[in-house]
Amino acid sequence: MGVPGGDRQHVRSPNADRLPTPAGGDTLPAVSDPILLCLTVDAVALLLLGTFGAALPSARCAFVTAIASGVGALLCLPPLLLGAPATVLSLPAGPPGLALHLALDPLSAFFLFIVLLAGTALAAFQATTIPVPSPAQVRITASCLAGTAVSLLAADGVTLALGLGVVGGAVWLPGRGRPAVLLAPLLLLAAVCLLTPAGFAPRFDTIRAAPVDPDRATAAAVLTFAGFIAMTSAPFAERCWTRDTLTAGVVIPAGSYLLLRVMADLAGAATQTGCGFALLLAGGAIAIIQGWRAASHPDIDGSVIRLAQRQAGLATVGIGLALIARSADLPGAESFALAATFLFALGGSVAGVLTSLAVRSIGVSAGTLRLSRLGALVHAMPASSAALAAGLLGLSALPPGLGFASLWLLFQAILLAPRTGGLWFQLPVALIAAALALSAAVATAASVRLIGIALLGRPRTPRGAGALESKSASRTILLVLAAVSTLVGVLPGPTLWLLADPAIRGLTGAPQGARIGLTLLLPSVASPSYLALPVLALLALATGAAMLVPRWSRRESKAAGLWTDGMPPPDGLPFGDPAAQSVGEGFLPALPGLPHPSLELPRLELPRLELPRPGLPGVPSLWPPRPPSATAGLWLVLAAFGVLLLVLAVIG
Amino acid sequence: MSIILSLLAQILHIGLMIAAAPTVAGGLDWLNARLSGRSGPPVLAPWRDLIRLSRKTPVTTESDSVVFHFAPAFGLGATLAAAALVPSFTLGMAFAPLADVLVIVSLLSVARVAATLAALDSGAALPGLAAQNASACAVLAEPALMLAVVALALIGGSFNIDLIIGQQRDGLLLPAAASAVDLTAMLALVLVEASATDGAREQMLSGMGLAVSRMTGWLRRLVWIDLIGGLFLPVGMATADSGPLAWLTGLGLWGVRLGAFILGLSAVQTMLGRVPNHSLLDLIGVATLLALLAIIMVLASAGTA
Repeated sequence: MGVPGGDRQHVRSPNADRLPTPAGGDTLPAVSDPILLCLTVDAVALLLLGTFGAALPSARCAFVTAIASGVGALLCLPPLLLGAPATVLSLPAGPPGLALHLALDPLSAFFLFIVLLAGTALAAFQATTIPVPSPAQVRITASCLAGTAVSLLAADGVTLALGLGVVGGAVWLPGRGRPAVLLAPLLLLAAVCLLTPAGFAPRFDTIRAAPVDPDRATAAAVLTFAGFIAMTSAPFAERCWTRDTLTAGVVIPAGSYLLLRVMADLAGAATQTGCGFALLLAGGAIAIIQGWRAASHPDIDGSVIRLAQRQAGLATVGIGLALIARSADLPGAESFALAATFLFALGGSVAGVLTSLAVRSIGVSAGTLRLSRLGALVHAMPASSAALAAGLLGLSALPPGLGFASLWLLFQAILLAPRTGGLWFQLPVALIAAALALSAAVATAASVRLIGIALLGRPRTPRGAGALESKSASRTILLVLAAVSTLVGVLPGPTLWLLADPAIRGLTGAPQGARIGLTLLLPSVASPSYLALPVLALLALATGAAMLVPRWSRRESKAAGLWTDGMPPPDGLPFGDPAAQSVGEGFLPALPGLPHPSLELPRLELPRLELPRPGLPGVPSLWPPRPPSATAGLWLVLAAFGVLLLVLAVIG
Repeated sequence: MSIILSLLAQILHIGLMIAAAPTVAGGLDWLNARLSGRSGPPVLAPWRDLIRLSRKTPVTTESDSVVFHFAPAFGLGATLAAAALVPSFTLGMAFAPLADVLVIVSLLSVARVAATLAALDSGAALPGLAAQNASACAVLAEPALMLAVVALALIGGSFNIDLIIGQQRDGLLLPAAASAVDLTAMLALVLVEASATDGAREQMLSGMGLAVSRMTGWLRRLVWIDLIGGLFLPVGMATADSGPLAWLTGLGLWGVRLGAFILGLSAVQTMLGRVPNHSLLDLIGVATLLALLAIIMVLASAGTA
């Protein structure tokens, strides 16, 4: 790979040219040059580990992977914190006439940081967990991280496709699911080629320097979104916790990066408003569907991965809102939407990895991942349970979690979204507000279900009752991740300011990005914002006051044995009848269920029973057999009311 | 000086909310009974219940965890935090910068989540069943409430409840039709809230835990009343630095608002009866559609203005 011999040059993107960096990046020494070189070496090292890692013991290979990934994450911090300018590294490798190029700018540095942070946590967990994972799983981790690093650093279509190819191979090969994920590199390469001017190599700086045809930009957006879906939502036939963790912490943020890179950066102003609306609706649908599946999945790992995939939908909504705001020249709304996207990516990565690893600990110790066979793990595994709860707080939408901060930003973006174009342009915005609210409620229900059934209550199996906490090293990793997830949720403003501000300013061209003290962005000087830390303080103060009240009574509680509604436990079931506890069904309203591809069973075809209908034989009835109920009448009245008001709204 | 006044107003507001919550619950029970032709319990009966329960020895199960012990207090704390943010008699209190409607709605969700987790932690059948039914109901009710407050935020241009109420007080919350539709949605949700029972979920609680849980429910209802009253009828609401006379006027009108609201609610409950459980989802669906309609009206009217 001849990396050291590559020639380096500075290239500033047109977006970045419009803006000063927060710390005066133009006057800073070019720290990005050696860092990009080191990151390239790091990616090569990860690739070598993924390829030849079988020569090392699994734990040692995972340990080296964690070090390589951690060093990479640390390397991303200086450019982010100092606001260093973008830099490009040309590699003397690649197809003839299509030399590979890597680049490090604020956007790629942010996503590379969170991806490598997630990879560090996963690899460190693999190095410390018992039983030791198979060599193949460790190699998958290293290969996926290497491919993702290359694709995030890619500055041309070929390098991007190569990186995604490595990711696709690493993620797809162990599961042998639908090969859609293998199509992602080709789709992204085609999208970049569509944006490239005729006669030029598909380099990003070439694309930025030339105007892009809107039709080509639309086609590229469609291809990119197809690649994003293939990467983030492809089902797999076999269960693999490493792949699930990689999907949550690495692949989904990388997918969000690709959407941002192609649609918001490369295509720029050529991306049409329709693309934004399409992303808006598609993201809303993904958020609802995945949230619904998470709240009804019978396995705890399936629920968690779907909650992480829901974050991908929400990030898509943020990108869609940003594109709509950009087309209306509203940098404030665009900043909010992009900040929400960055926070969703960060939250999905950190909290997704945390929950996946906690689920792995629980599964190994309790012997099952089926929700209806878990229970009371908070007694046996308090640290893993706390970590799982912290991760679920980050993935749901409850204050002061990270998910709520991201959702708040999305609603702010909706508030500031353009109000032009009449009813048909505003209808998707209204629908997306409903989708966000529903998705938040469903995610909360899913989190409550997981905590309430798996961690609380009575044990449902002897194995579950005898579960043991994981090793101290693994436990420490979980608790550190939980602390990071909670801290970022409580301090979303500084997080955005430190990590995402240069990228947001680069994409929006606004003089002020996502930054302000301990809060999030202000819509205007006079308008208050979401103050996560004071809200937490108020909640803690009120809860503390409420906890002091019971102490006044000074009455010791009296234990009353297992609560089985007055009945003794049945013979052979010392923990009571498992069926007497909720098994996690019924946490959603009785609406049409979304099928789980892995759970579809062949239906029994029962002979249809023809019942006699009331009425005279042979005479067709003019009325339905049952008169319409009062509920149907109510719905009809409401529908008429709605149509009337819509007509009134249309005519002003 | 204004900081001290706003702090004083905030402390007074929190004290009033805590004092009014059981009283309003007692008043509602008494009115319901009177309108049904019965003599009814004393208005202060909830206070007596609280004292009686706090003197009882709590009974707990062996299998419950720390969640079960702290969930009632956490739920009350979250509801109290929400109550502290919703203005009652004056605007501009010390916590006004925190008073984001999304935060208020989410704090109420936090309280519900705490109650659900406590019920599931007991490991008993009926509380668990009630908890999952409540969760299923909340999956539709909470988005409806969130949509309703988002509609108001779109009308007012901010998520801060003080700013929205200030605009409503000055008659700037337009279009009025969207505001009216939104009010209908929130009233439907109040009816759902009043019809939903927590009895089965509270079955595993006893003693002080049960008292705290009941106080949470009453405080939650008062937050609803204040939210709707403040957002749609902020008559006479003072500002924190407007002085004691304006505060007194605001206090008096807040009392009138509370009285009118519980009278209306008990009249509706007496005439229509308690909404059966199987119809709650229909009512929530109606509220959701109305809130969505309000949002569409706001957005579309802004586009054509």
